[in-house]
Amino acid sequence: MAANFFTISIIILSLFLVTLSAESESELVADLLTLQSESESGVIHLDDPTVSKFLTNPKTPRPYSLIIFFDATHFHDKPELRLREIRREFAIVASSFIANHNSSNTKLFFCDIEFSESQPSFQLFGVNSIPHIRLVGPATESLEDDSGEMDQAGLSRFAESMAEFIESRTKLPVGPIHRPPILSKIQLGVIALVLLVWSPLVVKKIVAGETLLHDPRSWVSGAVFVYFFSVSGAMHNIIREMPMFVGDREDPNKLVLFYQGSDMQLGAEGFTVGFLYTIVGLLLAFVTHALVYVKGATAKRTLMLFALLLSFWAVKKVIFLDNWKTGYRIHGFWPSAWN
Amino acid sequence: MAAPETSTAAVPSLYTNNALRNAFGGVLSFFILLLIGVMAFSIRLFSVIKYESVIHEFDPYFNYRVTQFLAKNGIYEFWNWFDDRTWYPLGRVIGGTVYPGLTLTAGTIWWLLNSLNIPLSVETVCVFTAPIFSALASWATFLLTKEVKGTGAGLTAAALLAMVPSYISRSVAGSYDNEAVAIFALIFTFYLYIKTLNTGSLFYATLNSIAYFYMVCSWGGYTFIINLIPMHVLLCIVTGRFSSRLYIAYAPLVVLGTLLAALVPVVGFNAVMTSEHFASFLVFIILHVVAFVYYIKGILSPKMFKVAVTLVVSVGLAVCCAVIAVLIALVASSPTKGWSGRSLSLLDPTYASKYIPIIASVSEHQPPTWPSYFMDINVLAFLVPAGIVACFSPLSDSSSFVVLYIATSVYFSGVMVRLMLVFAPAACITSGIALSQSFDVFTRSIKFQLPGISSNTEVDAAETSSATAEAQNDAVKTEKSEETSKNRPSKKSKKKEKEEKPSTKAKAEKRLIALPLDSSVISLLLLILLGAFYVVHCVWAAAEAYSAPSIVLTSHSHDGLHVFDDFREAYAWLRHNTDVDDKVASWWDYGYQTTAMANRTVIVDNNTWNNTHIATVGTAMSSPEKAAWEIFHSLDVKYVLVVFGGLVGYPSDDINKFLWMVRIGGGVFPHIKEPDYLRDGQYRIDSQATPTMLNCLMYKLSYYRFVETDGKGFDRVRQTEIGKKYFKLTHFEEVFTTHHWMVRIYKLKPPKNRIRGKTKKSKSKTSSASSRAKRSGMGKKNPWH
Repeated sequence: MAANFFTISIIILSLFLVTLSAESESELVADLLTLQSESESGVIHLDDPTVSKFLTNPKTPRPYSLIIFFDATHFHDKPELRLREIRREFAIVASSFIANHNSSNTKLFFCDIEFSESQPSFQLFGVNSIPHIRLVGPATESLEDDSGEMDQAGLSRFAESMAEFIESRTKLPVGPIHRPPILSKIQLGVIALVLLVWSPLVVKKIVAGETLLHDPRSWVSGAVFVYFFSVSGAMHNIIREMPMFVGDREDPNKLVLFYQGSDMQLGAEGFTVGFLYTIVGLLLAFVTHALVYVKGATAKRTLMLFALLLSFWAVKKVIFLDNWKTGYRIHGFWPSAWN
Repeated sequence: MAAPETSTAAVPSLYTNNALRNAFGGVLSFFILLLIGVMAFSIRLFSVIKYESVIHEFDPYFNYRVTQFLAKNGIYEFWNWFDDRTWYPLGRVIGGTVYPGLTLTAGTIWWLLNSLNIPLSVETVCVFTAPIFSALASWATFLLTKEVKGTGAGLTAAALLAMVPSYISRSVAGSYDNEAVAIFALIFTFYLYIKTLNTGSLFYATLNSIAYFYMVCSWGGYTFIINLIPMHVLLCIVTGRFSSRLYIAYAPLVVLGTLLAALVPVVGFNAVMTSEHFASFLVFIILHVVAFVYYIKGILSPKMFKVAVTLVVSVGLAVCCAVIAVLIALVASSPTKGWSGRSLSLLDPTYASKYIPIIASVSEHQPPTWPSYFMDINVLAFLVPAGIVACFSPLSDSSSFVVLYIATSVYFSGVMVRLMLVFAPAACITSGIALSQSFDVFTRSIKFQLPGISSNTEVDAAETSSATAEAQNDAVKTEKSEETSKNRPSKKSKKKEKEEKPSTKAKAEKRLIALPLDSSVISLLLLILLGAFYVVHCVWAAAEAYSAPSIVLTSHSHDGLHVFDDFREAYAWLRHNTDVDDKVASWWDYGYQTTAMANRTVIVDNNTWNNTHIATVGTAMSSPEKAAWEIFHSLDVKYVLVVFGGLVGYPSDDINKFLWMVRIGGGVFPHIKEPDYLRDGQYRIDSQATPTMLNCLMYKLSYYRFVETDGKGFDRVRQTEIGKKYFKLTHFEEVFTTHHWMVRIYKLKPPKNRIRGKTKKSKSKTSSASSRAKRSGMGKKNPWH
């Protein structure tokens, strides 16, 4: 009898406990939903108390997953970390996810943690480098080891790769990503209005043949600019996202403007050499097409000597830089009797 | 061109003198052109002199094999050729998937020589096709530049093109690839377009379509032509340069050219279905509308015309909007917006690096840095801006084409280093114009300021000289100038505006149309120095940088020259020691060479059309021996070939390419994971390497018995001792290793006998692992093994 009572009491107690925990679980979800609706983009801001409330205290399995973005405000001005950009994409994914689930989602919540105000949580997760994004699943026990980290490889199409990551880990479809349009509706309206006002003027000018298109000078400068732009390797800088210059490792006050090795170049370096490439040709064109019509022999002579000196220096400089950068030693093939 | 007319009219006594000079100039430029052709041919022979007369690299071997087939079996067999020696067991339809221009050209040359009883081998013809076409390309450059700016500029441009390093890199003797003939076709098509534009002759328009057809046959880069020419037509229309000549130059090209292009099997209906060609059709429509408007304008009174314009514009706008909406809907419905990945990455340079890693990973598709320009066009980079400015004084239809050509091609070359090849001819043409004009100005300045000539004659001479200088330039054009001036109203009016200013000035101060004597002499010397530097650089580039055939390698060391001929040694071994129908597996880089040199069937080759098949080979190479054996056995492979550079320090061997095999294999078969082969994100083969790495087939085949060479197993490429030195092969046996260990060939051991009652077949790969383990455990009891 006593044993019977004992089992019954255990059953009742466990039942009570289960309902209690269920209640607290639903409370937690409700809390999370409130926090989510309070935030503008749907990203919940966590700190040490909320981390323990939502992650460390509740028993596993928790009824929700959290995907957490580790942020550090004082690193926002470091361009190479791209924290702001990733934070923005993260918010886009969050708001798209919420919009696609009609705010009825209780399985996955997007959160962020700031380093300076919640250092203990960073230690709890064992995060020592940023940008860092981590998914804490319902069954995750130890935050440091079990939670899944998103790899940083797909950072170029960040929102899309994060959506894939979430779908593969939680089996929750994110759905289409709603990016904010590049131009807002008001801006579009203004542009359309300006175009409308302009169009009669433009048509009139085209009919009269007085546009920039009819002016050869605009074509010359356009063509020379395209040439300068391409020859300076600017496309390389854009595609590879090269910086204009980098700091010297040994001496932080010095700037490295030129990179040795032909597989890479820095921005400023490219523009410098592109300028040298272009200036020689332009000086030659100036001498042969404009200078011949200049009156006064002295002016002609000085201008020409100046052009000559500048061109000579530019060519010499480029040859020197090229030899230095590529390490090639260009030599002629002379008759062996000459040596 | 207005100048020579006036000069001949004003000074009739000079006419006979001029005619003699023109005749002499004609003969001289003929000989100069001949010498330029000889130079273009001979500067490309360094590879034959330094090495030997062989086909280079990888793709040329395929082209060579196709040419052999063509020479042996004739054109119809070639057209219907299904190749079962490659992509086993799939095979490949060759006739419908290659650009046949190069093959047909070389095949025709060979046939012609043979029917003239000149018994050259197909290989010899293939080796020398590229140099021959370089000579043709420099002549085509002469023709094109002559149409734009006269004979002097043409000769200079031809000389520059004959030795421009960018073009040399793709056309040395032995480099038997599509680009070799395609650059000639490109320049020649442009020349015929300009010629038609200048003359308005339907004869040249037809020739232009045929040249375009040849270009389509030769190279996928023909899309550059079919977009550049419409752009130029549009430019002419927008800037008010429409003429009947423009119509004749463009309309037949679109109609005939598209029809002819659709005849090439590899292009086919792409010629009308892909977005790359839509621009030409759009411009075709616009051209007709504009031509119609000009026609109506001619037959109506101005008032009636205004009424008609308002009527047509309102109706036309509605129709245009509808058509454009349909077009946009059509284009938008395809996932890539109807553009191929490569074209898209030209328009949006960051596209490839974001979305198509396989295009972004190829080294020729990288964006170049500034030293690439100095390496590939050298001092031309300095001269091009001057050439651009020269094209604008005065601006004509043809010179605007050159400007457009250089602007677009320089932009494209900035996106992809491979397109430097298209940019190089444009750079040569503009630099040729710049050089020739500057020489013109400087020599004129010197000639008429030399001491001993009185100031009176000086004035006279200065005037006539500027005229004769131009007359020389336009020597061939003078006869035509009358008829051409008739149907060139827009150009002429423009010119008149331009010419008025200088002529009034010239009257005021005739003497000053020259530069100071001393500085002219210095500039002339400096320009010659610049040209000399160009020649030295080009010869150096041809001799040192671009002549290595990469099938035979050499290295200089303190004890002399070393030649590494291991590749041919290995292929010859395969050819002589294996059965004709044996299948050889290797990484895809060596597929073309194996089929061409060893004449054995390969699983994958450099035409990477089937990713799954390549991934299968990649998976086999990254699997442990047993699993690899199963994969290879299921593909009927008898021999496995690996390239190993560890002994001699050849860096582009299979171990260095191995991560690509893992990546590509893992892309299709997820059980291959790249992190398994990396220790803390680092790729290493020393004692720190992961067990997966040390047990994969590629490691074992590369380093089998390697420790026997020096006792330590020191890899000279990776600069480290290898991780696992002593091991045995269970499923493969070494059959051949070349002299320098660069190529190693292994044979698959025959399958073991099965024991009765244990014939349970494993279906899936995962379950097979365990059952195989059991079977091999049992296998030890088999008395026959």
